[in-house]
Amino acid sequence: MMHELYGFLRGPMLWVALLVFFGGSGYRVAAMWRLARKKDAVIFNYSSGYYALRSIFHWLLPFGSRNMRNHPVMTVVAFVFHICLFLVPLFLSAHIILIKESWNVSWPWLPDHAADAMTWMVVAGCGFFAARRIIQPDVRYLTSTSDYLILAAIAVPFVSGTWAFHQWPAFPAATLVHMASAEILLMIIPFTRLSHMLFFPFTRGYMGSEFGAVRKARDW
Amino acid sequence: MIKHKLSYRKQKIFSGVAVFVFFLLILALRAFSTDYIETVDDPAFEKRIRPAVVFYHDDHNDRAGIDDCSVCHHVYENGIKTADMSVGMACSDCHMSGPAAAPDLIRVYHLQCRGCHLSEQAGPVTCGGCHKK
Ligand code: HEC
Ligand code: HEC
Ligand code: HEC
Ligand code: HEC
Ligand code: HEM
Repeated sequence: MMHELYGFLRGPMLWVALLVFFGGSGYRVAAMWRLARKKDAVIFNYSSGYYALRSIFHWLLPFGSRNMRNHPVMTVVAFVFHICLFLVPLFLSAHIILIKESWNVSWPWLPDHAADAMTWMVVAGCGFFAARRIIQPDVRYLTSTSDYLILAAIAVPFVSGTWAFHQWPAFPAATLVHMASAEILLMIIPFTRLSHMLFFPFTRGYMGSEFGAVRKARDW
Repeated sequence: MIKHKLSYRKQKIFSGVAVFVFFLLILALRAFSTDYIETVDDPAFEKRIRPAVVFYHDDHNDRAGIDDCSVCHHVYENGIKTADMSVGMACSDCHMSGPAAAPDLIRVYHLQCRGCHLSEQAGPVTCGGCHKK
């Protein structure tokens, strides 16, 4: 049972997850591009690589935008959360060792204790965002159940991964939960609000171009 | 009287030699046996980042029903596995091309150990199952 599930999650299911993630992402971006061409073709006249990158850069910089300076706590948490969210899965020793086994490529990895600390920052970040949605009236007003589900979808692979790492009770089961939940997370990214990961460069580039090239103003 | 004393000394010498030979024999047996191997401990890993791998050599191979040593201690000729065995050599003697090649060595250990566990559907497959705290 253990072996069948493990083999399935590391074999066919991993391919399905990667296919849905990359295929779905490509499809979403292409669909948005086509829609913009049809509905708002004028943006392509003033779209500007310079102003787009200028805006993206300022919004990638901690406190690079006025909105961030007005919300310092949210900004710090959001930056730490996103950095750890991307670095841990890509530079975790266990992940790189598994990739080396399957595809014979590898790259340097983070020390395990650093990855572990960063994992807890992601989990704490999920807790912070959930608490904000419960406590702050204006945010609560805009919150639906799916927002909590998305936070849970991120927290589960991180908690179960660290569970496996520390070999807490029933850790072989935690490893399976980890692999399954991580694959689910990958697959829902293109089709939920998590797709802001794909659209961030486009929305900022769009705003940057409009403000920079048309209104001669800053949008950060 | 003297004769008796001599034989007493001989007795002592003989028993001394016997005890000595006995311990030599144990040492020799130990050197050729694999009973004492309880973990895989390849010296090529200078800085370990995981707990040692539990591996009771003889017990493991008894229970897994592996009689052919060359399943693990293998020898290749022109990329083809032969029936010969490389008992006495560490995996790293052949699978470690340089100090930066640790991922290569980890890879072959994992492919051999976990690969068989997966195809036999028996034995640990998760990191913690082998690298026990
Ligand atoms: C399941 C794989 C496997 C099988 C089968 C196997 N071995 Fe081993 N053997 C190992 C591993 C792994 C080590 C540990 C090497 C280390 O610690 O560096 C080892 C170590 C040894 C050592 C000690 C070598 C040293 O340098 O200390 C001897 C001797 C040995 N094996 C003999 C045998 C013999 C004889 C057989 C067949 C009856 C056999 N092995 C079958 C995996 C195996
Ligand atoms: C005498 C040298 C030698 C020793 C000792 C040796 N190997 Fe190998 N091994 C080879 C050669 C040669 C190959 C085939 C060429 C290749 O694929 O690298 C090979 C192939 C392999 C493969 C298949 C690699 C792949 O990419 O599919 C694995 C796994 C492996 N060895 C594991 C081990 C383990 C584990 C040990 C120690 C128990 C060990 N080897 C000991 C020489 C050795
Ligand atoms: C050729 C097949 C094969 C290879 C190679 C192999 N194993 Fe196993 N292993 C098994 C089987 C089969 C079992 C289940 C035995 C049982 O039923 O208890 C097992 C069980 C185990 C167990 C569980 C405890 C025990 O001793 O039964 C550990 C730990 C283990 N293997 C470690 C290793 C390590 C480490 C290596 C690589 C050096 C390795 N195995 C290589 C077949 C293999
Ligand atoms: C079937 C048993 C098995 C499984 C499962 C396994 N390993 Fe290993 N691993 C080994 C063996 C055997 C070695 C060689 C051990 C040695 O000489 O210390 C090794 C070596 C390593 C090393 C290099 C030695 C060190 O401590 O730095 C790392 C790192 C490692 N494994 C990480 C992992 C990770 C991460 C996983 C899970 C993705 C994993 N292993 C799963 C058997 C296993
Ligand atoms: C689907 C493919 C994946 C597989 C097969 C996989 C496998 C593993 C395994 C086996 C561990 C346990 C490592 C150990 O014992 O040290 C682990 C840990 C971890 N994984 Fe994954 N993983 C996958 C995807 C992901 C994704 C997509 C994320 C995050 C979005 C993620 C985040 C983590 C974290 C945070 C840990 C714990 C790190 C620690 O505390 O040290 N994994 N992974």
